[in-house]
Formats: sequence, structure tokens, C-alpha cells
Amino acid sequence: MDRSTRTLIRYEWKTFYRNRFQLLMLAVIFLFGLYAIYYGKSEINEQRQTIQAVKALEHNEFSAYQASFTEEMKTLEQERAHDIASRPAYAWYRHGYHAILLPHDYASLAIGQRDLFRYYYRLTGMSLHYQLFENELANPVNLMAGNFDLSFVMVYLFPLLIIAFCYGLFSSDKENGTLPLLQIQPIGIRRIILTRLGFYFVLITGLALLISLIGLFSAGNPFKPENLLPAISWLFGVVVYNAFWFGLIFLIVSFRKSSSFNAITAVGCWLLILIVVPAILNVIVTTKYPMSSTSLASLTRRTGLENEDVEEESREVIMEFLAHKPELAGSDSLIKSNMLPKAYAAFTTLKDMNSQQEVDHYNAQVLNRNVWTYRFHWLNPAVNMQHILTQIAQTDLKTFLYFQDALADFHGKITDFYFTRLFWDKPILQEDYSNLPTFEMPKKEIQWAALWLGLGKIALGAGVVFFLGFININKGISR
Amino acid sequence: MRLISLIAWKEIKTALREKLVLALGGIIVLLLGLSLFAGYLNYEQQQTIITQTQEVKRQEWLNQGDKHPHIAAHYGTFVFKPKTVLSLFDFGLDTYTGTSVYLEAHHQHEFMFRPAQDHSSMIRFGELSAALVLQILMPLLIIFLAFASFTRERESGTLKLLMSQGVSFQTLTWGKILAYGAILAVFLFPFLMGIMLISVGEFQQDAIPDVAIRLLLFALLYGVYLFLFIAFSVWVSLCSSTGRNALLTLLSSWIFLAILMPKTVVNLSENVYQLPSMREFKAAIEEDKANGLDGKSTRSIRMARLEKEYLEKYGMDSVQQLPFNFEGVSMQAGEEYNNKIYDYHLGKLRKIFQQQNRLGSMASLFNPFLSVQHLSMALSGTDPHTFIHFEDEVEDYRRELVRKMNNDMAENSHYGEFYGYKAGSELWAEVEDFSYQTPTALALLKHYWIEVISLAFWLGIILLLIFYTNRKLKPLYG
Repeated sequence: MDRSTRTLIRYEWKTFYRNRFQLLMLAVIFLFGLYAIYYGKSEINEQRQTIQAVKALEHNEFSAYQASFTEEMKTLEQERAHDIASRPAYAWYRHGYHAILLPHDYASLAIGQRDLFRYYYRLTGMSLHYQLFENELANPVNLMAGNFDLSFVMVYLFPLLIIAFCYGLFSSDKENGTLPLLQIQPIGIRRIILTRLGFYFVLITGLALLISLIGLFSAGNPFKPENLLPAISWLFGVVVYNAFWFGLIFLIVSFRKSSSFNAITAVGCWLLILIVVPAILNVIVTTKYPMSSTSLASLTRRTGLENEDVEEESREVIMEFLAHKPELAGSDSLIKSNMLPKAYAAFTTLKDMNSQQEVDHYNAQVLNRNVWTYRFHWLNPAVNMQHILTQIAQTDLKTFLYFQDALADFHGKITDFYFTRLFWDKPILQEDYSNLPTFEMPKKEIQWAALWLGLGKIALGAGVVFFLGFININKGISR
Repeated sequence: MRLISLIAWKEIKTALREKLVLALGGIIVLLLGLSLFAGYLNYEQQQTIITQTQEVKRQEWLNQGDKHPHIAAHYGTFVFKPKTVLSLFDFGLDTYTGTSVYLEAHHQHEFMFRPAQDHSSMIRFGELSAALVLQILMPLLIIFLAFASFTRERESGTLKLLMSQGVSFQTLTWGKILAYGAILAVFLFPFLMGIMLISVGEFQQDAIPDVAIRLLLFALLYGVYLFLFIAFSVWVSLCSSTGRNALLTLLSSWIFLAILMPKTVVNLSENVYQLPSMREFKAAIEEDKANGLDGKSTRSIRMARLEKEYLEKYGMDSVQQLPFNFEGVSMQAGEEYNNKIYDYHLGKLRKIFQQQNRLGSMASLFNPFLSVQHLSMALSGTDPHTFIHFEDEVEDYRRELVRKMNNDMAENSHYGEFYGYKAGSELWAEVEDFSYQTPTALALLKHYWIEVISLAFWLGIILLLIFYTNRKLKPLYG
């Protein structure tokens, strides 16, 4: 760093800290950042509490079943309870297991779609699709308003801060009459503006990194192996995204218009990138890929055998089912005992098999939409950044679609457990309770390649606007 | 008056010379057009699908074949949330409320499938609707138009000239406000025509009974909103020493009022009033179904009590002797008891929603943007109250359907012979098709008196401010 740069920075620092308003803005943003961290934490903590409550409900349910094996049967209700615990004919559709998508440590920093999708399900052996589409309780007004989490502060508010600090970089000198004084200096205007821009870049990005670090440390230890890479990419993302906005403001400043023009244009760009373009894309994607959940709604109907009193019908259904699951055949009393529960078990499983195609088709459509919008991430660094942050925090759409697949596997495990006992006419024993099906979310690695490609797109955007500004600012500067 | 129009005319001419203003105005007109077009397409698509599927479900219900009424009550039917024609103007909550619900005996299902679930997280950036353009982008155009209205005159010294001609500040201010109002009216005219045409073309088959009144109220609402913003911008310019200051003040207020505050208020309300989870909500209902609302009268106790009551009433010894099938009666009694439990729990839940939303209403006293947002949703039929009204109508329909099934079972079948009786299409046809009409705009507005007061209050404040500032200003220092 040569002497003139040092001088420039020193004076910029002086103008900066003498400006009370700017200091106030930094403080306000810092407080907003802290609030966002707190808010995100409280949201995710609430989800964690719900998860605990749900687990407790499951624990109580299964403790009661287990207790019924040792209790003395006195009342009718106790006998009923023991039946539910030990007879697969009752148990298969009553025992409920929870599949839980635990939040990533950093979910509180970018809540993403986590408030919109369910993160836990209670599954029984009944039709999966009957159980899959119930929503979590939520106030739609709050869903619409969205979350004031750290990702919001980074994506929406920091660009505004950058605009507020830098829109007058050149024009204010012109308007205050200091420009001629600068022009007679041996260093060029471009260099002066760039140095000052660099000064604010370090200052504001430093603040963004500071808030991010507070967030990252308070949400989970970033040095844990599963957090390290997410934390680094978060920080890197913040730097790149800020760089883009600095590049953009540099481009605007490089036209050397009035302060008002710069402010209007910069806010106009902000509005375009953060509100108008995503809003247009959303409307286009809705009409271009129209989706109707009405087809899925039908799957949730509770249907049964047409004539459950006709033995022949039950037998047919059971046989059709066993053709798919030959390993369950072979019991001597296949039809004689518990025919109706078996028929129902067979019926709902067959129904699920038939409707799986519909569900897959629907999910594929959702993915199609996703792929389409993904194409425009080149154009829009804000949407891209938001997407990257939700990927890091594993609160993006794909995580939830993935969770649905895991649910289907888990449902398979549950039905296997009960149906082997039901169709082989075996009771559920007390020792079976130490061997119940459990849910596992398969370890899903974040798609780092896609994530870094996304970051690369923002970096490229930053480079392009910066380059344009760099060229533009010297045009006709000698005038 | 002639003076005012003269000033206004001059102001319009200067504004039209600004390329930036024209460009922004052009963009806004384009966006309004696009929003109407896309909104209309979406409305048509959804409306067609919903009407068709509703018809399919109706046919499924009517042609379900002969079966026991209780099985039919379980077979049930579906209701899909109709899209209202005005929702293409303001999507409101439509993206975040569930769209379909399954109606069956014993269980109240919640609405499933929020359309936002079919999107990536980009949906949270919002969707382009006319309401978004008018509420968020229009103010920005106004700011661009008006921030320099006085500061320019002041900086170039024309203000003193004007004053020396005997023009009062009041006249000058109102002339400028009139000018900006006229410019916006010209920008908005094609849009107004568009929305009128669409609504007139569609309203006959729509769930909204009073489209015309709502359209008028819309015009009034946005008229007041845009006037507020124009008057505020001109006032800020009047009070500012330089254009740059005026612009910064206006932009910061706009960001605070339209972007920051709405989100913060809603998020705070969520922290203050916490919702239970669906699992706990359902578990509490199941618990009460098993043990009774008082925690003591279990299902079997309730059944025994009912049996005793009926036997005493008819003077019989056993339920088989009753002149109707007691199973139907007990089924209906159980249904009604379940409904009572559900109403109790839903009431508690709704109360939390209401408290959360009430906080937003209170905040609107400080932020006219929020008032407009809430009222606009209400007029479009995409607000929380219309949704609650819809939910209630659907639940009433479900109860009526189940009641008809249970009554038929009581009248026509025999005790203990579940498989012995089958009802047919005549009974199914007795259940009318579901159709929905939103409450009228005036009925809805009762829920929004705070918002209405807020707008009136701000209107008063801004008029007073302009009046007093103008009186106090001295041309010499101006």
C-alpha cells in the first residue's frame, strides 16, 4: 500500500466516523442482525421442542403397549390395550412411529421452506398417502410474510446498506465542490473512487462477516466436521454477494451522474433484483407449469373393500397382494384367521402401489419447476444467494422431497414389521418391542458442486458489473 | 383554481421531460398488464381444474353405488377452495392456505396442499400481482416524481420568483399534488379498464357476490393510499433543504414501511403467541374423545348414559326394542360430541391466529401500508377472515352430510345388522352439492375497523401537516 492510498483511507475513515448518520445505520443493521439470529433460533427451538413433544407422545404410546404385557388384566379397557399391543390385526394400523427431519445446526440462520413443509410425520401401517399430505398448523399470514432470519438480513438489507454508503462516492464531491480539488491531485479519479469503494467494502463486508460469525457460533460449533464446510461456504457466499453489490454500485457511480440519479437507479436495481424479477419468475413458473394438487387429494380418501362381508372379495384382495409379496404367503390359516384385517392391509398396500405413480409424477413436476427457475439464477444473484443459503442450512425444497422418499422407505419398514406377523398369524411379543422399526434419514451430502457453481455465478456477475464500471468510469474523464 | 391547474400543468410538463420517470412509469404499466394477464391465466387454469374436479367428486359421491350409509359417510367427499375473480388482483394468502379438504365421518381434516409447497424457496420473494405493483412499486414512482417538487424550486431559486407573483404555498402544494395525481391516473387508466372487463366477464360464476361494490372500494382504497403517498412525498420535499435529503428520507421511510416493518411485526406476533404443533393438536382432540371434555366421561360411559336416556324416554328394556336403529342415534350422538370437542380445540387455535393477526392490525395504526395490505386482501377475498368463513362453511357441510347418513341409518336399518342394509343413490342425492359464497365486503370490513381508522387517521394527519407547514413557511427563508 503506497502513501497516497494510505492517505485516502485515513481521510475516508475520518469522514466516515464523523458522520453520525452512517454510524447509526451500521448500528441499526447490526441490531437487526442480532434480532434475526434470535428470531431464527426461537423458530427452530420451537421446532426442536415440538420434536421432543412428539417423541414423548410416541414414547408414552409404546410404554403403554409394553406395560400391558406385564399388567394383570382386570378391566375391559386393559384387555383392549393388550390386544392393541400384542395382536398385529389391531397393531398394524394403530402403532404410530415418528419420522423426523432434524434441523441442521444452521437451519435457524436460513429457515427457508422449513416453516412450510412438515418436518415430522406419524406413520402407521395404513396407506402412506393417507398420511402424507396433512400440513403442519401455521398461520398463513405469517407464512406469507416470511421469516426475518439472518439470510434475510444478508440478502435484502446489506445491499441497501451498501447503496446508502456508496451512492454518492463521486457525485457528492461534484456537488460539494471538492471534485476540482481531487482532480488536480496526481492520482486518477478512478483510483480514488476504487480506494474509497475498497474501504467501504472492507467495512461493510466486515460487519456482515461479524454478524455471520455471531450467528454461526451461536447456532452450532462451526468446527464440528458437519458444520465446517457449511460455515465456510456461508462466509464465502456473504463476501461474494456483497462484492456483487459493490460492483453494481460502482457501475452506477461510473456514469458520474447526480447523487439523486445514483440513489434512484441503485434503489431501482435493488427493487428489480429482490422483488420484481423473482415476482415475475414466480408468476411465470406458476402459469407455465400449472400444477393441481386435486389429483393427489383423491389419494387421501379412506376407501375400503366394496363388500367386506363377502369372503370371496377379501380372499381376492389378499391373493393379489401376496402376488407382490410372496414371502408373506405360506401360513396355514391365511384366510381363516383375521381375514378382514389382512384384507384391509392388503387393500391399502395395493392402493399405495397404484397411486405411487401419481405421487411420483407430481413430485417430478415440482422438480421441473425447480429446474426451470434454477436456470435464471444466472440473472439474479439475490435468488441465487437465498437458494445457496437454504442449501447450506438444508432447508431447501430438495431436502424435503428427499425426506418424502425416506418416509416411503420407513413406511415400508413399518408394514414389513407388522405384515409378517399379521400374515403369518404370529402375535407381537414383548421382546419384539426392543426391535421396532426406526426411522433413519439417509445421510445426504449437500451437493457441493452445485453450490459452488451457484457461488461462481454470483462471483462472475460481480466481476462483470465491476469490469463494466471500471471501463465506464474513465470514459471522457479528462473533460 | 385556475392557478392550481396552471401549476399542475407546469409540473406535469416537467415530469414528462424526465426520462427516468417515463421509463419507470412505462415499466409499471407493463408490469400491471403482465400481472393482470398472468393472474387471469392462473385464475382460468385453477378455476377450470377446480370446477371440473369438484364435479368429478360430486359424480363419485352420487354414483358410489349401494352401500351402508355409514360407509358412505367414511367414503365422504372433497371440497376444493374456489379461486375468486378478484384474487387475480391480489393473491393474498391464496398461495399459503390449503386448497383441498377431505370430508368424512368422525374426523375433521385440515386443508391440505398449500400451493407454495410446489415451489422452491424463491416463492418467498413474493409473486407479481397488481397489488404488489400498486402497494410497493407505485410509491417508488411517486417518490421519484415528487422528491424534488419543492427542493428543485428552492435550489434553482424559482420558489422566490413564484412567491413574488403572489402564489401562496397552499396553492403551490395542491397544484403539485394534483399534477402527480393526474399522472398516476393516466398510468393507471388502462389497468382499471382491464380489471373492470375481466371482472364483468367473470363475476356471474364467481364465489364473490358483490364484485361491483368491491371494485369501487378497491378504487377508493388505492386512491387514498396513493394520495397519502403523494401528499407525504410533497410534504417531505417541502420540509427538506436539498433534494438529496428529501430523497433519502423518502426512500428510508418507504423501505421501513413496506419492507421491514410488515415482516418484523408478523415475526414478533409469532414469538408472542405460539401455536401448538399439529400432532399435539390432534393428540389433545383424541385424548378428549377418549376421556371426554371433563376428563372423566370415557367413551363407554358416554355410550351407556345415552343408552339409558333413550331406554327411559321410550320405556323399553333393550335397544333392540326401540322403533329405530339405536346405532344410528349413538353414531350421531358421538359425532356431535366429537364436533363439540373439535370446536373447543379449534376455537383455542383460532384464538391464537386471531391474536397474532390482531397485532398486525394494531401495527397498521403506525403504518398505512399494512392497512392497505390487509384491506386489499379482504376485498379480494384472499384474507384470513374469508378463509375462516370458508372453512366453517365446509365444516357445516360435512356435519350435514354425516347427519343425513346417520339419520338414515337410524330410520331404515336394524340394530346389529350392519351388513343387512344398503342405501342408494336417492340418499346420496339428498346431500346437496357444496357451493360457496364469500361474505359481502361490508360484512368483512367489520373485522377491519382498525385498518379503516388507521387510514382515516393518516389522511387527517397528512392534511394537517400540509396545512400547518404551508402556513408557517415564509417565502423569504423558503
